[in-house]
Amino acid sequence: MNTAAAACPVNRGRDDRKSARLADANLAPQAGARVIGKFFASREVLRSAKVRQAGATADMTDISKPGEISFFFLDGDLHRKRRAAVAGLFAPKTIVTRHQVVMNRTMDEIVAKLQGRGSAVLDELSWQMAVDVAADIIGLTNSDTAENLALRVKAVLDSSMDRKPGWLGNLTFGAKMLIRVGRFWKHDMLPAIEARRKQPQDDVISYMVKENYSKKGMIMEALSYGGAGMMTTREFIVMCAWHLFEKPELLTRFLSGPEDDQFAILEEILRLEPVATFIHRRAAEPITAEGEAAMGHGEVVAVNIRDANTDEAIAGACPFELDPDRAKRMKVVGPYMSFSDGPHRCPGAQVALHETRIFLDRMFRLPGIRLVNEPAMTWNSYIQGYELRGAVVACDPA
Amino acid sequence: MVAITFIAADGTAQTIDAAPGQSLMENAKASGVETIEAVCGGNAYCGTCRVYVEPDWRAATGEAGEMEMPMFEATGDDTPGIRLACQITVTPALDGLIVRTPASQS
Repeated sequence: MNTAAAACPVNRGRDDRKSARLADANLAPQAGARVIGKFFASREVLRSAKVRQAGATADMTDISKPGEISFFFLDGDLHRKRRAAVAGLFAPKTIVTRHQVVMNRTMDEIVAKLQGRGSAVLDELSWQMAVDVAADIIGLTNSDTAENLALRVKAVLDSSMDRKPGWLGNLTFGAKMLIRVGRFWKHDMLPAIEARRKQPQDDVISYMVKENYSKKGMIMEALSYGGAGMMTTREFIVMCAWHLFEKPELLTRFLSGPEDDQFAILEEILRLEPVATFIHRRAAEPITAEGEAAMGHGEVVAVNIRDANTDEAIAGACPFELDPDRAKRMKVVGPYMSFSDGPHRCPGAQVALHETRIFLDRMFRLPGIRLVNEPAMTWNSYIQGYELRGAVVACDPA
Repeated sequence: MVAITFIAADGTAQTIDAAPGQSLMENAKASGVETIEAVCGGNAYCGTCRVYVEPDWRAATGEAGEMEMPMFEATGDDTPGIRLACQITVTPALDGLIVRTPASQS
């Protein structure tokens, strides 16, 4: 127990986190990075115009050809321009008027599947939701079937995660990617691009067609949006469901409260269980600041989202306790640092929260809904986050 | 401190003591101005901290920036004087500022 928990005046520092122990045992920031975790210092770094993306594959990415890389690796005006061009796709009004239609349609299919079979693997259901929503935003809507699209995207993303070091690892990785990206391009990207050349729509691919992105640029951008939107939301939905299944009072509150309160519950779970843990930044020039935010030229910091989210300066007392009233009481925005902060804050944050709310609201209202098997929790070293697999839910037949 | 008044769509006025150096949105949230939602935490990605700056104060607050425009388009809000409160930094020069807020942010 750390000092913050020990000082908690209520419940002697109850710790409601499920993923904390696994994270503590496996966390590995980039070699040479200085880890910081104070909320306000972390936010100052992430919002600074003097830092650049680092970590993941950012340091290996050639940014001299911005048309061939994802917006994720860009900074400054170019990044701002590309983000702003599609920002409307993620605005709350767009979510309510457009994306919720997709979310409800997918939930109709999921409910029918679950009631028809009697039981299902929860992370497969959450994956279906995450893929359908992300595909609509990106514009991947001309594939043969949504299931095959999901399989091909998963194959590409799995290749990235499984990459092994050394020449043999690079060779294997290259061969796998060539085949899997080739399939994704042929069966998913090309049909979508051709359709949008004839009839532009309001999605990411239409924007890329209009701006004459290269083939490589389109693939990278689509996979960046897709990877982020699909992989993280799948885990978040399962984590929230797990908490709600085992906390009847919280579930009652979730099902009986207004949408604002449902979001407060989800955001509080996300505060304690952020899907990714580290955000790396390199200082392009020195940052003069007090405390952790001060950075020397070229220095790399790893912002620890878990620490920032439980910093008592922002979370208040009992920082490890699940308390949906916390953010309102502390007069702060609910997700804290879970979606990052600054120019690279997750554009799909609100989309993820809305699809999670709709998924759980519909699922938990099914007669006889119950958790048959708890998920197995493993660590994904690539995103430095947890994965929840194999949870089985069951319900009464329709 | 800097006195700033928020006027809701129903005419209710709330004057807060704002701290210079922080954004107008952060000051509003800290003072419990309920018509400011700011679901993205101040990154100009949600358009739920929209305010309408009174004409006499528009020069002092400045024009909307490049990141703000897509949010106005997405919300379909073209009210004169519109800004995102998260993109306005409170300074002593804004003492007495009056802004209005929409009936609904989202």
